[in-house]
Amino acid sequence: MTETQPTARVLAALERGTAAPEVLGIAIRVGEMTGAAVEAVHAGTSAPATLATLAGRVGVPLRQVAGPAGRALVSELERPEVRAIVMGAGRGGHGALGVGATTLDVTERSAKPVVVVPATGHLAEGPLHRLLVPLEGEEASSRPVLEALLPLLAQEVEVEVLHVFTDETLPRMLDRPVRDTELLGREFLAKNFPVATQILLRSGTVADRVVEVGTERGADMIVLSWSQDPSEGRARVVRDVLRGAALPVLLLPAAGSGRTTLHGQAPDAAG
Amino acid sequence: MTFSEHPGAEHPGEAELDDEHPGGEHPGEAELDETFEAVLFDWDGTAVVDRAADASGLQARVEALSAAGVHVFVVSGTHVGNVDGQLQARPHGPGRLFFCANRGSEVFRATPRGLRLVSRRVATPEEDAALDRAAALVVRELSARGLGTEVVSSRLNRRKIDLIPEPEWADPKKAEIAALLTAVERRLAMTDAGTLADVVELARRTARSAGLEDPRITSDVKHVEIGLTDKSDSARFAARWLEDEGLTGRLVLVAGDELGPIGGVPGSDSLMLVEQLARAVVVSVGVEPGGVPPGVAALGGGPRRFLELLDAQLARRAARRVPRVDDDPRWVVPLPVHPSSERVAEALGALSNGRAGTRGSREDRGAGSSPLFCVAGLYDDEDRLVHGPVWTDLQLSAPPADGKGGSTVVDLRTGVLFRADEGRSLRTLRVVFAQRPYFMGMRAEAGDRTLSRGNAPLTVEGSCARAMRRGRTAVASTGSKEVRLAVAASDRWVDRSGCTILERVCAWSAGKKASPTERRAARRLAQADAVGFEALLAGHRRTWARRWRDAGVTITGGADAARDELAARFAVFHLLSSASARGEAPVGARGMTGEAYEGHVFWDADSFVLPALVALSPRAARAMLEYRIRRLPAARAHAAELGLAGARFPWESARDGSDVTPTLVFGAHGEPVEILTGTHEEHIVADVAWAAVRYAQWSGDPAFLDSPGRDLVVETARYWASRIRLDHSGHGHLDGVMGPDEYHQVVDDNAYTNAMARWNLRRGADLLSEAGSGVGNAKSANGARAEEAASWRDLAARLVDGFDAERGIYEQFAGYFALEPLMVADFARPPVAIDVLLGAERVAKSQLIKQADALMIHHMLPEDAVPGSLEPCIDFYEPRTAHGSSLSPAISATLLARAGRPDDALELFRVAARIDLDDITGTTAGGLHLAAMGGVWQALAFGFLGARVEAGGLVVDPRLPSAWQQLSLRFRVRGVPVGLTASHDEVAVECAAPLRIRVAGTEAERGSQGRVVVPVRQETSGRGATDAERSSS
Repeated sequence: MTETQPTARVLAALERGTAAPEVLGIAIRVGEMTGAAVEAVHAGTSAPATLATLAGRVGVPLRQVAGPAGRALVSELERPEVRAIVMGAGRGGHGALGVGATTLDVTERSAKPVVVVPATGHLAEGPLHRLLVPLEGEEASSRPVLEALLPLLAQEVEVEVLHVFTDETLPRMLDRPVRDTELLGREFLAKNFPVATQILLRSGTVADRVVEVGTERGADMIVLSWSQDPSEGRARVVRDVLRGAALPVLLLPAAGSGRTTLHGQAPDAAG
Repeated sequence: MTFSEHPGAEHPGEAELDDEHPGGEHPGEAELDETFEAVLFDWDGTAVVDRAADASGLQARVEALSAAGVHVFVVSGTHVGNVDGQLQARPHGPGRLFFCANRGSEVFRATPRGLRLVSRRVATPEEDAALDRAAALVVRELSARGLGTEVVSSRLNRRKIDLIPEPEWADPKKAEIAALLTAVERRLAMTDAGTLADVVELARRTARSAGLEDPRITSDVKHVEIGLTDKSDSARFAARWLEDEGLTGRLVLVAGDELGPIGGVPGSDSLMLVEQLARAVVVSVGVEPGGVPPGVAALGGGPRRFLELLDAQLARRAARRVPRVDDDPRWVVPLPVHPSSERVAEALGALSNGRAGTRGSREDRGAGSSPLFCVAGLYDDEDRLVHGPVWTDLQLSAPPADGKGGSTVVDLRTGVLFRADEGRSLRTLRVVFAQRPYFMGMRAEAGDRTLSRGNAPLTVEGSCARAMRRGRTAVASTGSKEVRLAVAASDRWVDRSGCTILERVCAWSAGKKASPTERRAARRLAQADAVGFEALLAGHRRTWARRWRDAGVTITGGADAARDELAARFAVFHLLSSASARGEAPVGARGMTGEAYEGHVFWDADSFVLPALVALSPRAARAMLEYRIRRLPAARAHAAELGLAGARFPWESARDGSDVTPTLVFGAHGEPVEILTGTHEEHIVADVAWAAVRYAQWSGDPAFLDSPGRDLVVETARYWASRIRLDHSGHGHLDGVMGPDEYHQVVDDNAYTNAMARWNLRRGADLLSEAGSGVGNAKSANGARAEEAASWRDLAARLVDGFDAERGIYEQFAGYFALEPLMVADFARPPVAIDVLLGAERVAKSQLIKQADALMIHHMLPEDAVPGSLEPCIDFYEPRTAHGSSLSPAISATLLARAGRPDDALELFRVAARIDLDDITGTTAGGLHLAAMGGVWQALAFGFLGARVEAGGLVVDPRLPSAWQQLSLRFRVRGVPVGLTASHDEVAVECAAPLRIRVAGTEAERGSQGRVVVPVRQETSGRGATDAERSSS
């Protein structure tokens, strides 16, 4: 007798409002990317008929989960077959991340990836084929991103790595700038993210560059790791990217690594 | 058998053997399970039981060791006839057999035709008289204390005093040593002479009072001997001879039977433990009742055990086991082991012989490995470096889960790459033979099933690659249809008790057609095989030993100084590896250590590498110039294309000398970026001429500037003459150029470019004038030349150089002073690529500069710089210099030292010296920065030692940083090997032939051969004028 593995799931957290169709749409694309079935959930006492209709139209089952929204969704995320959750950024600009209360609650407490869909985005359609992964250039912080992201990639996607130079990573010498930068980039990838298809090197304010490059490169999603600590002075890059990006942002919890990542810590590059 | 006093020990019984032979723990079996290249051993008691013993077994082994390439040194106190008569070995080599006889006074070499005297210490009549006097005085002193003794014989350079002249002890056997000691001690106890150690001390004191400055006192218990030499002289001879063969420390096995103390006196064989053999593996096969000193393995077993050691060596040789390296921390560079540094390690571990080079890729290639075998100057049809067949791959089992593939080191002293992975009992040794530029080789061994025979010895990639195998020989070639690089390789496999051993010998060839090139590689392989790996390795070690003898670097002063020394040696190692001494030597910016810039040749070669090589390996420097000479037609054509006269050398040069600088690349945003260096960085033209004159000046090659070096200088001068624009007031200008500071891309009147052009015009005019005199040319031709030379001198005088007399500094280019006066420290700590931080546009509008530019005038043309301008220029430009180029820190270090700021200089020197070792640029993976390495040597020689050639002689003006006690360099000036050692209060110069030497600040000029020591007072206050400035002001 063989034990059947439960089908992998991606949750689409649907709430009342105009963001629900986009959240569901992104969830379906994330499901395709991760090879998981999508399951819509609504935290509350009764799911509005509009949500049921929305989900039903694309063949996604909708479940209602009871209890305080954040806690109920985190509890759903703890199911072993659930790979990730897709949520709207929400309204209200709560806390350091500038997202809605439920979204903030889930992103802070979830041990699994959370995709935050911007409230005002005009999201492209079609499969997610290009991810932008900003990295700070330390193997210790890159490895968790690599290890968390790779299991999510069931279909072929282009992973473009962005590094925004900081005081620590700013090149010290470039004899022949363009050629040396190319070499520097190759080494960066080899050390930090060998599976990436391209490296993009920039200088300036990290979040600004992330948002800018995301648009410039036509990325479908931005991938950020963060320490799940949105307290004062931390997570500035995550907050600013969530505020500025018109793209979904995949937040990979770096909790347990015992280390604060650049994106949690947000020391912007000089200049 | 003798016992002796430790030389220099004030109290014989308390000899500090630790100091003589540091190392602490005894070598274990693992230390002995190694291949030794030389064996140094005591005779009586170690090699034979006594002088009557049958030594035929030993003879056979010694001759076999010699045939296997092992050098043997027999050390004995007795006459050579006694030892040779007993051993009767007549080895044919290649290993040598030496008898170091007569207690250090004589050395003989055994050849098939008999003994040949190598050296003999001959006592002067005064020394002989002193020996007699000392012996007589000791006898008298002992007699006065109640001990009857007598001088029983006179031997070469020594006198023996018999402490127990009694019939039953007339000829004591070795086995009776304990009884003899008891008898002597009992006899001494009945007198006032004290212990045996007291008698030894008395003999030493007495010998000194008799006029012997350095008496060597030894004792075999029965006798006390007073001599001029002892076994330490034998050991020093062996160590010196072996060092010339590249054999040091751990490659040498020392064996004796009396290394520990007996009767309160250090054992006689402990005298063999000289400082020069401090890391040798030392064993005692004696009884050693008093124990052995630290670092000595007490094996016991007598001569039988010694023969077993020799047998083990013969077995290792027969099995082609992988030899070790002498892991001397002053010479060995460990490569990074972390997988993320794979490609950096490959660059750091690159081995080259001037013609061909191989990156230090691991045999089983780590993740992201980027191996490379290439030949200097071998470019394909698109001027890219041809990647040859990779000959270093092996099929190995995976390392243990927690293993990282072992550690790999570059042994700078012998030029080999050595890898050891204890987890898999794996070791490999790789060589690109220095003395045979077409040959490479490696050995590998591993425990069971680790090393597989399955793989082909050569790996090729690319559409034009070919590979074939016939028997043991594999041949492969790569390249394009028109340019082929072939490698032939043969593998020999040996299985020995759970160990698989591989010996791979390779040869390469380059040519135009695949088949002939491959056949030539195969023929060369046959030649290499005929010589054999062992002999090739011995020749390679010898070649490197000679290179270091002529190009050594020593820095003393503690741990940081040792780190500086290793980094400096690393630089010299790669400089010496980068250029062939024959034909032409195209030295790419990354040499043969990586594919960055495709092996293209920049000013890095002419202005950074060549000034070092001209002193370290003049023939290699000449070959570098030959590369330029052969591309003079292309440079002429380039100038003509531009509508100009003379020759314009390209910023980037490859196969045919045309400009291969990319003109357009794509930037970080994918945007097209125009590269302007090729069109505007014209100082390369004068840099080439400067290199030619520099070579002539330092090498003393009298014919070079007559022809063909003359053409380099004259044709480049002709270029400048056609390039200069005269303004309405008659001043000359060079518009639209780029100086070394590439942050400011197209400027007018770059001070460095103009100063170099002016120098080029004047030097060209001189050579043009000289060529016209006395060579029988027609008067009209002479006249035309004279006229042209005069016009060049006139133009040189008119050419502006940007010197601002009011400020006392050069303006880097016209309008530079009006730019935004930013300082690097306001943004970041240099070195920093500040253009990345601030953006190229902003930097271009500021006074921030990438590297020394105007200051290059002081570096390249100190005699042309306005006197007194060095320090103001440093004060102005250094805070504005980002050192965003790997060429920069070493030049600033040189100039800071010249300006009397050696401690500031040291900071930048360390940046320069660690550029690749610490991967400061982040681009070492693409190859090592040879220009920075040239700069490192220049900083040592021209900066800290203040060496320069002036009027055919050597001038020295040292400025040592306080962290260093002493700096020594060896190099050549006008063909004369020179050793220069500076401390804070004196300079010592050693010359192998007469050479005029002047130490700055002293009056005397010496036409010197041998060693001269001159006291100096270094001006390090920070504001002293350099000697060059003093002499020109």
